Amino acid sequence: MTTKVKGCRELLDEVIDAGLCTLCGACVGACPYLVHYRGRVVLLDSCNLAEGQCYQYCPRTYMDMDAISRQTFGIPYAGDELGTVREIVMARSADAGTRAKAQYGGTVTALLSVALAEGLVDAAVVSKDSEDRTPGPFVARSAEEVLDCGGSNYMACPVLEGLNRIPRQSEERLAVVATPCQCLAVAKMKLNPPENRVDIGNLKLTVGLFCTWALSPDRFHRFLRENLDLPRVLRFDIPPPPAERFDAYTASGRTSFPLDQVRSCVMSTCALCLDMTAEFADVSVGSVEGIEGWNTVVVRTEAGAGIMERARASGKLETAELPLENLAHLKEAARLKKVRALRQITDRTGSRSDLLYLGLSAGVVDRLLR
Amino acid sequence: MSAGGDHKGGNVSAKALTKDPLNLIIAGVGGQGNVRMSLLIGEALVREGLMVTIGETYGASQRGGAVMSHVRISKEAECSPFISDGRADVVLGMEPVETLRMLGQFGNPDVVTVVNTRPIYSIDVTGGDEEYPSMDRLLDTIGELSARTWPVNATEEAQKLGNPILANVILIGALVGCGALPLDEASLEPALRESFPQDLEANMTAFNRGIELVRRQG
Amino acid sequence: MANVDVDAPGTRQLFIGNEAIARGALEAGVGFAAAYPGTPSSEILDSLASVADRAGIYAQWSVNEKVALEAAAGASFAGIRAMASMKQNGVNVVSDFLVNLVMTGSGGGGLVLVGCDDPSAISSSNEQDTRPIAKWFDIPLLEPSSFQECKDMTRWLFDLSEELGTICMLRSVTRIAHARGVVKLGELPKAQRRAFFDQVHDARNVMPTRFMPVPSSLRHALAHVKLENARQKFESSPFNWYVGPERAELLIITGGSCWLYSLEAVKALGIEEKVGILKLGTLWPLPERLVEEHLGKSQRVLMVEEIDPFLERSVMEVSATLPPDSPRPVFYGKRSGHISAYGELNPDVVGKAIAAVLGLDYPTRDVEYGRKADELAGAYVPQRMMTFCPGCAHRATFWAIKNALKLDGRQGIVTGDIGCYSMALGPAGFFQVRTMHCMGGGIGVANGLGKLEQFGFDQPVLAVCGDSTFFHAAIPALINGVYNEANFILVVLDNSATAMTGFQPHPGTGVTATGQETGVISIEAICRALGVAVAVCDPFDLAGTTSTLLEMMADGGRARVVVMRRECELVRSHREKTKPYTVRVDPDICVGEACGCARLCTRVFRCPGLVWDEDARKARIDEVICTGCGVCADICPQGAIIKEAT
Repeated sequence: MTTKVKGCRELLDEVIDAGLCTLCGACVGACPYLVHYRGRVVLLDSCNLAEGQCYQYCPRTYMDMDAISRQTFGIPYAGDELGTVREIVMARSADAGTRAKAQYGGTVTALLSVALAEGLVDAAVVSKDSEDRTPGPFVARSAEEVLDCGGSNYMACPVLEGLNRIPRQSEERLAVVATPCQCLAVAKMKLNPPENRVDIGNLKLTVGLFCTWALSPDRFHRFLRENLDLPRVLRFDIPPPPAERFDAYTASGRTSFPLDQVRSCVMSTCALCLDMTAEFADVSVGSVEGIEGWNTVVVRTEAGAGIMERARASGKLETAELPLENLAHLKEAARLKKVRALRQITDRTGSRSDLLYLGLSAGVVDRLLR
Repeated sequence: MSAGGDHKGGNVSAKALTKDPLNLIIAGVGGQGNVRMSLLIGEALVREGLMVTIGETYGASQRGGAVMSHVRISKEAECSPFISDGRADVVLGMEPVETLRMLGQFGNPDVVTVVNTRPIYSIDVTGGDEEYPSMDRLLDTIGELSARTWPVNATEEAQKLGNPILANVILIGALVGCGALPLDEASLEPALRESFPQDLEANMTAFNRGIELVRRQG
Repeated sequence: MANVDVDAPGTRQLFIGNEAIARGALEAGVGFAAAYPGTPSSEILDSLASVADRAGIYAQWSVNEKVALEAAAGASFAGIRAMASMKQNGVNVVSDFLVNLVMTGSGGGGLVLVGCDDPSAISSSNEQDTRPIAKWFDIPLLEPSSFQECKDMTRWLFDLSEELGTICMLRSVTRIAHARGVVKLGELPKAQRRAFFDQVHDARNVMPTRFMPVPSSLRHALAHVKLENARQKFESSPFNWYVGPERAELLIITGGSCWLYSLEAVKALGIEEKVGILKLGTLWPLPERLVEEHLGKSQRVLMVEEIDPFLERSVMEVSATLPPDSPRPVFYGKRSGHISAYGELNPDVVGKAIAAVLGLDYPTRDVEYGRKADELAGAYVPQRMMTFCPGCAHRATFWAIKNALKLDGRQGIVTGDIGCYSMALGPAGFFQVRTMHCMGGGIGVANGLGKLEQFGFDQPVLAVCGDSTFFHAAIPALINGVYNEANFILVVLDNSATAMTGFQPHPGTGVTATGQETGVISIEAICRALGVAVAVCDPFDLAGTTSTLLEMMADGGRARVVVMRRECELVRSHREKTKPYTVRVDPDICVGEACGCARLCTRVFRCPGLVWDEDARKARIDEVICTGCGVCADICPQGAIIKEAT
């Protein structure tokens, strides 16, 4: 099936109103018609165009995964648990201060600082919380600014809106920190570069984030507002199983909630996602189960390898071998996510050959669902 | 604006009526001022001793819609405020597409037309739903449907005179200058004086400019 | 506007029908005139108000037609001749008072009701024929067929009203009310009467004067007596006449605007010797003997009238009562389908009907020309939709409403009302308005929608109404919303004018009909007095207005109010004669048609000042039409529209 590009009305029907939108932001910020408001993508008016970049770049409209995989890695999509892996290690920022501010090992912060300091990029498009803890896209241009954006609140953030808003004529080289769905959208943009927004050729580094699910900003933010004094919260954390907790840390200590309360805010679209480790990034970063203060890092492309080398060489990033046990757990978790998602999708469509937005070869599907 | 002065009925005017009733349509876009223009012309005609009935479409139409004034001119008869289809004798178009719209419904082989060549685009056109024909095409078509046509770039000339609103009086001048109505320069002066006590000079200049613009076309 | 009080009896003036009606009232010695603006009636009060001080009369813009008629009746009860004028919808609004007024009778001062209908609803929400109300309520009714009759009938009706002791009605239509023709003037009275409410009606019995409709057996019977008196006068009225042969191939019975149409149609067919026209000016009660007399002139009768078959049915009733051996004519008209039962008429329509009845050809223009004209006009004449004026605050308001509703995401709806903003039903207002009925109808409907929560209703409801509409009809509905705790937001579009009808003043503008300064009645103060949450916004501040609406919608609960305050652009520019900004499009920044803009300004926003340059494929400002409000500069996503303060 070839990729047919449609317009914003179809985007509304097939993705947004169908509950598939992941709030990645790829359709927002490039035209006056699609905007992001309180955790929803809203179509203010129709542009009446039959084909649009909003539909083209959306990671929930049909994608030929082989084509995207070939473009990024030169090989068809194999459906391996962790995707294409050049190297997989543990890593953490060498700076304790960074580690304290950031999530887990501070690796993303370290990589971006290096990239900025060594002139590999001029700006990084990341997620940043506002004062009331609503996440939004932000363009960081210094190490301090990057550090300021550290930490996760587990809510979906339309980071790609920030990328879209970079003017066409800007010559800044860019990095982006992206969830798996956002990495896919970026891959689609690279496949068919946009003409009237950011020059995607300027994007030099995509740092992926591991992701199991994201929380709906609308619902979860309401939950936070009702239960916490948000401006005083320093950071959030979901400790690994069997903790079953969602933690919020303030200067005076920790407040915990049953994880089930938080699960009710998970976006339903996340159940249809096969990608746990951001398979289409240059380098993907996540936590290490059972080992506090470290990140799991999967290096995938030459650009990814390049920044890792620079980071190690600069002394800003410490790396170590990832224990085999952790690797096995990671692979299993990733595999299960693929299987669960495929089952959800095929239950919904009633057929293995209609996978909603995914163009996967039958061989890959069968192998995963065996 | 007052309707002062005694309008004597039944006198034969200096310029005779070529047809009785003579039917004049003033067509334009809501807000252009066709009602004021028809009144001005009507007053001048009544001063000449003629019976005049003027039918207007205004009210909601003012908001950018198509508007027209039907001026019925007769020596003695009282006419209805409607000109029947195909029975216009003179069309004064304040806008080219509206002029053609009038000719489409009210034109006939003998109609004569004065048309302002400045387009006003409807939101159907600017919104991309409809096309506005080229000026050449419009003027050609208007010419095809009229026995004689006098195109006048009244708005541009009015801007040269310092105020686009003077376009209306330029068009009245053009209408008088082309001889289609039983009016001459002298018949309009008292009406202009009454309508524009403050800006008489500017309006007289505009009026004379209009006459000049058609006389120049021969 | 003409000076309707010019003291020059015997001279001829060019008046529109409404001015002639005003002149007729003046010649009759009217002392009190009240009205609410409504097309096509507004110029009646407009012209009386403009000469009121000089003419020694009182003229008032009332908050609505009901109060206008009640006030006029009050003057009549005190012996002053009074008139209330309105459009067809106003007649609906006054109906309860009117029917009771017929039962109570009018006072010592003649009382005239003028109802102006709008066939084809050229400037109305609906098309409606008000003549049947005369039959329904037992009111003597006249309708003018010329500008002269507008004056003469109005003048006479005051005499008739005083003689009969009942309100009399004049009905007119747009094509008479707004058309202009020659009127020969009469004398103006020298002095006004003294107003006094005579406490004792009948000096002999010392019965107190009471204007009461009870007992109905007495009052209703009396109304019939008055009507019969009127009918007897109508039998010999100079407002009815016949032209044509004694025996005709066709008899046309007509009235109102259709007299001149019929006359012209017959002339166009060249059959003046074959066709007779009975023109009726006194329509109700029908002068039955006169009609009977003329029914004998022809075997075929064509009834020509606007809008309903009112005369047609009345004449048919008369025909049914003719003696059994009378020749029964065949009736043509709306029942037979020869004349449309809706919409306005014109000489062509009438001519074609006559031709159809008589089996003639109706002369059309040169066939070849006609074919060419139809083809060329069809090909090269684009539509011209009505829209908000350039610089109109409503465009900005509905843009903010559109965005707020979309962002809110609960499929909110807007209920609408009567005014310029009614155009928000269409593309001018981005199709935001979903209902429209009558003055105050929108907030009324919102009251219903706002109480459906128990049935699972969760869509935000916005009711829009104008500032004049607020005073006319919205206040009781707002109180209902507060008292019954209905969940809606009333959005008052305050442009400081009754704009659609001609910028007449109202209680919020601080000026009366005769130009006197008076206290401004504050809309938000009234709302606050009701305990309602009120926000006042400037619609030109798109971002602020949108967020205020979002906040209000998020609140829920009882009725809330947002006042959108910005003066009507036509009023402002007339007064200030300047443009606040010079606005231009930078063609280097404008992306035009690309995915990324898709002509947002011309295709969606659609201000007439924004045009599309077909050659350059860019947007452009039409500097003659643009009023310099600068709002478009805020909606262009590229920032290509530049506004510079003048």
